[in-house]
Amino acid sequence: MSWQVDVLEFAQKCVYCGYCSVCPTYKELKWENYHPRGIIDQIKLYFTEGTKDDLQKDVSKSLFEAIFACTMCKACENICIVDLPLLKIWEQVRQEAFKRGRWNPQLLSLYNKAKDTHNIYGLPAEERLSWAGMVGMNLARRTLKKAPLAYFVGCQASYSGKMIDIPASVVTILRKSKVPFTVLGNEEWCCGSPIFLAGGYSVGKTFAKHNLEQLKKLGVKRIVTACSGCYRAFKVVYPRILGEKWDIEVLHITELTKELLENKKLKIKNKISEKITFKDPCELVRHCGLSEPLRDVIEKIPNVRFEELPSNRDDALCCGGGGLLKLNNAELVKEVNDRLMTEIEFTEADIVTNGCPTCLDTIQYGAKQRGLEIEVIDVSELIKRLVEDKK
Amino acid sequence: MTLRKKARNKFVKHLGKQFRDDKTLLQVYSRDMAELPSTTKLLIRNIPDGIILPRNIKDIQQAYKVANETKVPLIPRSAGTSGFGGSIPYKKGVILDGKGLESDIIVEPFDQSVLVSPSMVFSELQRYLKMQGVSLCVFPSSYYSATLGGFIAHGGYGVGSAQYGGAIDQILAIEVVLPNVELVNYTEREDIELIVGSNGTLGLITKVQLKIKFDIPLKHRGCTFDSPKELEDGLKVLASINPYSIWILNPKHVAEMNDAFGFTLPNRYVVLISKEVSFEEEESDFHASFNQAIRDGGGQILDKRYTDKIWDIRYKTFTMIKDYQDFLVSELILPIEKSGKYLQKLASEFNGQLHFEGEVINNSHFSLLLFLYFDEKLTPLKKTIINLKLYKTVMKGKKVGGFPYSTGLWFSGYYSKIFGKEQYKRYKELKKKVDPKNISNPGKVISPRVRIFPLITFKFALKIASWLIR
Repeated sequence: MSWQVDVLEFAQKCVYCGYCSVCPTYKELKWENYHPRGIIDQIKLYFTEGTKDDLQKDVSKSLFEAIFACTMCKACENICIVDLPLLKIWEQVRQEAFKRGRWNPQLLSLYNKAKDTHNIYGLPAEERLSWAGMVGMNLARRTLKKAPLAYFVGCQASYSGKMIDIPASVVTILRKSKVPFTVLGNEEWCCGSPIFLAGGYSVGKTFAKHNLEQLKKLGVKRIVTACSGCYRAFKVVYPRILGEKWDIEVLHITELTKELLENKKLKIKNKISEKITFKDPCELVRHCGLSEPLRDVIEKIPNVRFEELPSNRDDALCCGGGGLLKLNNAELVKEVNDRLMTEIEFTEADIVTNGCPTCLDTIQYGAKQRGLEIEVIDVSELIKRLVEDKK
Repeated sequence: MTLRKKARNKFVKHLGKQFRDDKTLLQVYSRDMAELPSTTKLLIRNIPDGIILPRNIKDIQQAYKVANETKVPLIPRSAGTSGFGGSIPYKKGVILDGKGLESDIIVEPFDQSVLVSPSMVFSELQRYLKMQGVSLCVFPSSYYSATLGGFIAHGGYGVGSAQYGGAIDQILAIEVVLPNVELVNYTEREDIELIVGSNGTLGLITKVQLKIKFDIPLKHRGCTFDSPKELEDGLKVLASINPYSIWILNPKHVAEMNDAFGFTLPNRYVVLISKEVSFEEEESDFHASFNQAIRDGGGQILDKRYTDKIWDIRYKTFTMIKDYQDFLVSELILPIEKSGKYLQKLASEFNGQLHFEGEVINNSHFSLLLFLYFDEKLTPLKKTIINLKLYKTVMKGKKVGGFPYSTGLWFSGYYSKIFGKEQYKRYKELKKKVDPKNISNPGKVISPRVRIFPLITFKFALKIASWLIR
């Protein structure tokens, strides 16, 4: 299916069954205009010619407000009984909001920063690899070198101090397995995921083209990432916008780990005695259908104490951090996150792990708010603990 | 905005931000699952004047207080997933959206009950209960979207009703804000049964204590029948083996399922029987009694490899709509006895395009959900005409002792047929006592007068219109 869909045509197919009331935003805000089927109704009003002018004005305000309160978790699309491509519809309405100049200032600021600096923080490209220095790693030999595998670090893991363990863990895993790999360094541009989610199609496309060009120059055949947003961009969005030119195999770090363990290139050396639970990131499980590799890895840990969250895999709850909600309604993020934290608390786990920097951040915040004594770590950190040599 | 300024100010003053009347929101709240064709606009003023999202009992009481003072109708609403028109305004007014209520859950495993807000969606509550190793007893077909409040106000039945009964049989206690703002907590069946199926005409449910059970696995068996008469005979016997659920599909529906889900079910009446089974002996007993029932009642046993697959789509049959441009649905309750005759007639109605699924609700009755799918988007006029035909079809069920599934707006005036004359009398007495101004959901349960021709009731107008349609 192409990037653009006939929004109105699909909206008219909605049967109003209400199954999409699973929407985490609607569960909190409870007004029907935030309900996905309510958004569909507003789309019908907005895009139908002949809607009275005064109503049209009111609809656009209400519709754009609702669309930016969406976490893009895709729970609605997954449960939709008539298979509406709701994510594409939401993205397209966000694009419409952009065209009409209806983005909020924070969102616009992120967009401009990304457009100018090619990362979501507006920081210099030269600092992309500064995390490596901070954890005592030297990646000079790996940067922009020809290799079959590239590690795409992502903006959050590259620039955010809170995420520094993620790239350090991924590099440790790759080094342990002796797989030749490269990183793009200064030439790594944002994958475009936040830009696409915001509705900024054309800028996102330039990012995609640039990244592809760099990867091709280095002869990269496979790309690995520990960020679910980047993974989704490469797996779902790039093929849509780049077509057949995008022929690079995309792997999440959990998929690669599973493969390395099976090929005996990695070995589980350590036990983890703490009880573990796993939060499926929406962008992995619902957007890309990826849920099992980490579970397969966990299964291999001797005497592991693992408990699934009550809502797992396709039914996983959203952490609240998706869809750039933090920029639009930070308070709502906390409310959405609270439901997830209740489930995490229910498991009485010592470690909650996940495969998404955004989830990591929101869960860490939620745990702190509740005063939970739980360690929140990325899957790459968990894997690193399993395979690293004991000091 | 048509709410008088004084009335609007009062709502705003007492409800604050919980009252909204922006135009878009009013449009969004103007429908339930069945979108009203524009031809009905003359009769039904379904766009509300405002919406209230009450957070607590106090908000609801304030809403009713203002409504009584200003004579503005209040229309209780929950998930809006039925198509009976129970939650859409008949003559404008303010919608009271019960989804705003907080959803605390108190499970009492020893009493086998759960105290919960009616705003809870079934699937959400069930997920929570399963974490505790317990389960609800009965589930509506709209399991993923229907709320407890809507199910009760509707007087619903569902999967599990064959063993555990309907909405009324699930309730141990119910708390309601009556239209006269009084907060009552009913624990006696004779009081509770007036709230069940009242479509919000007796106020808004604020809390409900439901029966729960241990989460017992289900085992499924299936069988097929060649004709409606054979189906009738088979159902009589199958209902007597005390199953958890009996799900019935007509050949047309089976064909659609085969297409939609890639099944290869035989083109006959298919019945899926499910039974709670805790241990091996119980399972053997189930198989034995099922086999015996089929021998006694006729029919053919369905290959076991089908049965689990069919059960997996138990709450997803609406998926079949996706290949069509439009659809219409209606529902009724039929006695098993004599159902063959009615089902035989159904097979020839609408050029054989009508399909249905049924759920046995007790030893003697089953509910029947009728579907019509269309390859084209219906014009408002065509939709109205076919809807009236469908209405007529449901009404024909009365000849064999059937009755509408619920009243809502479309079947207002049929309360006594559904619940009996004695209960109707008590319902009317209570309604008169607690809502003398008919503030709470006017136009529902008791058939309203037609706006443009007040000499006749809505029920009568529908009867005439459906009679005129051929």
